[in-house]
Amino acid sequence: MIHVRLFAGLREQAGWGERSLAISAQSWPTTPASLWRQLGLGETVPQQVRVAVNQAFAALDQPLQPGDEVAFLPPISGG
Amino acid sequence: MAEAHRPGLVLRLHPEAFEPLVALAEWQQQLTAAGSEAPAAEAHFIGRVRGRSASGAALEALELEHYPGMTEAQIERIAATISRRHGLLALRVDHRVGRVLPGEAIVLVAVAADRRGPAQRGGQELLEALKHDAPFWKREWSNGVGRWVEGNTAY
Repeated sequence: MIHVRLFAGLREQAGWGERSLAISAQSWPTTPASLWRQLGLGETVPQQVRVAVNQAFAALDQPLQPGDEVAFLPPISGG
Repeated sequence: MAEAHRPGLVLRLHPEAFEPLVALAEWQQQLTAAGSEAPAAEAHFIGRVRGRSASGAALEALELEHYPGMTEAQIERIAATISRRHGLLALRVDHRVGRVLPGEAIVLVAVAADRRGPAQRGGQELLEALKHDAPFWKREWSNGVGRWVEGNTAY
């Protein structure tokens, strides 16, 4: 199982903010980039979208482990 | 109010309005609480919500969304890196979340060091890192319509 989170504009475009996804045994190792396709969010992750795995920035092709939390983050505007 | 302590960092995320000068006074008292000498140099930045949106319309409010858990972890990582790089003695970050009104404080950054150079450079770097690398998202509300802000205002 992978827990996926979307924030701000991405959440509103998709119409959901959190989803848990069962990954079939033959699909491991999966990556954030493949999750993006699997969730129907698009063919490729847009360049301005960043990824976090377990609440730390990560690469799109990072191999995921069962139980990971993956978040797709639109452009940040803090401070 | 979420609160996290690491050696040298005081971090507070405020769902309600906060008074930056009160936060700053509290932090300064903590720095000298054990009878230690006050740091020789401090740099402070207070950011407030401006009354206009990016397009120039009157702003009703700014909405601040964040990623609970990652926001705190990321600010702690940023603070640790910058603290090491500049040899800082202490850091404080206060950041609003939720609905923030024009004129209200949205961010306070304060750093202490032994010299003015590290204090000012470290404070500036910390603020820029918050703007670009801490998971916060702003939505501007004008005339009842919300628009997500893509990126940051001009430096």
